[in-house]
Amino acid sequence: MSPRREPAAALLEALRERKVLVVGGAGGVGKTTTAAALALQSALLGRRALVCTIDPSRRLATSLGLTRLSDRPRALDLKKVAPDAAGEMWAMTLDTKTTFDALVVRYAKDAEARERIFANRFYQGFSAALYGSHEYLATEKLLELTQDERFDLVILDTPPTRHALDFLDAPDRLIRFLDSSTLRFFLRPYFAAGRITVRIATRTGALAMKLVDSMLGMQFLQDLSEFFLALESMYDGFRDRAAKVQAMLKEPSSGFVLVTGPARATLDEARFFHDRLAEKQMPFVALIVNRLHPDPAHEPDPGGPLPRLDEELAAKLAAVHRDMQTLARAEAKGLVRLEVDTGQPPLLVPELEQDIHDLRGLREAGELILGARTLPRRRLRRTAGARA
Amino acid sequence: MLDRLLSRRLLFLSGKGGVGKSVVGAALALCAQRRGRRTCLVEIEAPLPAARLLGGQPGTSPIHPAEVRPGLFTINLEPTAVMEEYVRRTLHVELFVRKILESPIYQRFYAAAPGLPELMLLGKIMDLTTERHAFDLVIVDAPSTGHGLSFLKVPAAASTAIPIGPVGNAARRIVAQLQDAARTGLAVVAIPEEMAVVEGLEFLEQARDEVGISAEAVILNQCHEPVFDTREEAQVLDLLAAERGGRLARGVTLRGALVAARRQMRRRKLTRFYETRLRKATSLPLVRLPRLFVEQFGEAELRRLAQRLEAA
Repeated sequence: MSPRREPAAALLEALRERKVLVVGGAGGVGKTTTAAALALQSALLGRRALVCTIDPSRRLATSLGLTRLSDRPRALDLKKVAPDAAGEMWAMTLDTKTTFDALVVRYAKDAEARERIFANRFYQGFSAALYGSHEYLATEKLLELTQDERFDLVILDTPPTRHALDFLDAPDRLIRFLDSSTLRFFLRPYFAAGRITVRIATRTGALAMKLVDSMLGMQFLQDLSEFFLALESMYDGFRDRAAKVQAMLKEPSSGFVLVTGPARATLDEARFFHDRLAEKQMPFVALIVNRLHPDPAHEPDPGGPLPRLDEELAAKLAAVHRDMQTLARAEAKGLVRLEVDTGQPPLLVPELEQDIHDLRGLREAGELILGARTLPRRRLRRTAGARA
Repeated sequence: MLDRLLSRRLLFLSGKGGVGKSVVGAALALCAQRRGRRTCLVEIEAPLPAARLLGGQPGTSPIHPAEVRPGLFTINLEPTAVMEEYVRRTLHVELFVRKILESPIYQRFYAAAPGLPELMLLGKIMDLTTERHAFDLVIVDAPSTGHGLSFLKVPAAASTAIPIGPVGNAARRIVAQLQDAARTGLAVVAIPEEMAVVEGLEFLEQARDEVGISAEAVILNQCHEPVFDTREEAQVLDLLAAERGGRLARGVTLRGALVAARRQMRRRKLTRFYETRLRKATSLPLVRLPRLFVEQFGEAELRRLAQRLEAA
């Protein structure tokens, strides 16, 4: 095993030196806020950092204290919150439909191919839902942004998916999909003029075709086939860029930051995500656990005699102490397991007492992350021993 | 409020990931069952189905509801299995069914047609509301994909993209059912945090403007309850500022308790802030559910939430 590095130091170094950071994790764990906070810290370190979120909602804008963000990178005014910032902070959100449209405009063979795609009923209704298209478009955009001279570091907040892994697999999956016979099947003009024009070789095949036809109608099949046909001129480009992104993400100038909350389900997901990164040999940077409840028993006692307290107040204080400790202890158990299983000491970020909705809060959050402690060694050894 | 919410045949729950939607769904299902409504709680590919909180033996079938308590059913739908069931029902002949499902044409088609799984799932959910199943109420914990109400938008997109044929017709029927306010309702779940509230409000907007489903209530989960009165709050802050120490009990320092109290007070203030904000932004009934401090959320906690819903 490689020697342990202080995880906060590793993260700081990544903010100073790497070119791409991908922030992944389950939904609702503060992923977007973390991505934005890290971008601000990077700006404070003198770099020109862009944070990009793939999200049709106003999430990132909210945490930046803005009413809205567009899919064009926008420089934020850091004067008030960080007059000392030597770098720049940029932010943008990625809208799937707009990005897909832009890709078509940019890469379609000619004006006719472009118009055919835009006019396609299937494209209009579903381009945003096309198999893995959120994740795929995120990687497309990532490639474009890393080539943009305005930025030293691009921090990508991954799409909110059920499984955080979808993002990692998107380029691979797209290449497989484009290579597969699925597409070739749809590319052959079976469905021209609203009827099946070729004989399907097997009886089951013919039956399947009949079933699909009876379910969806020939018109839809024709639209679908036309859609894939129209996109055909773009396939080689898709494939090239997907392969490039894949290679780029494995380079040492890239890195993954995993974000999780203390709840059991999100910890499981983080563990799973970590294993997949290792399996795919993707460069790992840090594991951040947000929203932890600090154990009140860890507060140092200033000493002295207990002041006289109203009985009711004393009882309430004891109850609040008990509640907080119950949560803290339950969370600590899960974290020890996470560290033992992944071999990565998570950065423990306490739940903030205030919500973040401006750059000031974002700066504090970033400082909390970089100054976060890890689990006490003693406790880990005990658990690791017990499990072995 | 609860009467109104549970009076529909079909209730969707929506909200940002991590707001405890599935727990709220289970608590609502429990309330409905206690009122004698034959209820089915539907989850979709839930890794930890809330059915486990309802006791009994959660079913393992991805397409048939299992009765976990008298009159209370749960199901964790699996899109692939739902699709297969559809093929089976369309074809009737089992011999062909297997061949079709294994046929590359079918598999390619299934892989390439986006929105098809969502459409099939909604079709299945609509089927659960028919007389055949005799449920008075079906509660659906809609998947929180982070893409707003995208799950509920699929039928409208499909009815445009698929102009003819049974699936297109089914999509149009589903749209009509979603928009039938006497039959279908939506409740948005949020927690007192900026992002969850902003997204919750977005869901309400999309429900009205894009899906046409009738929003019935906002459920604000994980609220910090009032513990200290104003005088006590001032005392807590004074004691903190004076750095007073000592022990309240074994293992409980005054300092630790005061810090925990300050945290509680601040989160309580946030709860109030977001509650006010939601009330200003929408005229829908708002229900608060408390944050529970337990090591593991179980059946007892679920009953507590159900009681709070009853009292609302």
